[in-house]
Amino acid sequence: MAINEPSDNLPLADVLRAANELVAAGLIEDWALGGALAAIYYVEPFTTYDADIFFISKDKGLTGGIPAIYAHLQAQGWQVEREHLLIRGFPVQFLAAHGLTEEDVRDAERIDYEGVSARIFRAEHIVAIAASVGRHKDLARIEQLLQQADLDKSRLENILQRHNLKLPKP
Amino acid sequence: MKAEMRQKLARESFAEKIRKVAQLIRLAKTFPHRNRLNHRPAAR
Repeated sequence: MAINEPSDNLPLADVLRAANELVAAGLIEDWALGGALAAIYYVEPFTTYDADIFFISKDKGLTGGIPAIYAHLQAQGWQVEREHLLIRGFPVQFLAAHGLTEEDVRDAERIDYEGVSARIFRAEHIVAIAASVGRHKDLARIEQLLQQADLDKSRLENILQRHNLKLPKP
Repeated sequence: MKAEMRQKLARESFAEKIRKVAQLIRLAKTFPHRNRLNHRPAAR
């Protein structure tokens, strides 16, 4: 299937494969799937319209290597639409990891998705990010993860404490 | 939806859950108004 042919399923395997290729090409040091799709790994499925790939850049300059990532993926046939790169019409955001998110990438869980080796944020880290952002949907995500995911409570406490974060009161 | 049913969905394989997300997106595109009425806070 051509890279921009629309797919009935989410082209997640293609996204993960592309992220691995960015490592192989020397453009990024490491990466992990974050955001809503990472949360769905641990909880019931819900509607989401994009994938968030957090990466640790090799380029420590101001741009964080974003232009080179865009150029590489566009050469592979990906399209650009505002802040997203599109594969088979599915938007993907590549986000430079810093601070808490860099720690999340380094501590990410290894998974195999349809034969593609990938890394995904741990549930405890997703809770911590949601606590740090604190929008309505983040609070809902925290509640969902607390109810449905097998959280490592001591790991969560440790992350929250180190980043001076607190869970919302129920 | 009952908590047990939601827990069962949460326990499905990631690939199966991703297939369900794709179905939800298709439904949202087919019935955009209905989807807005049923909007869940966790959706993004």
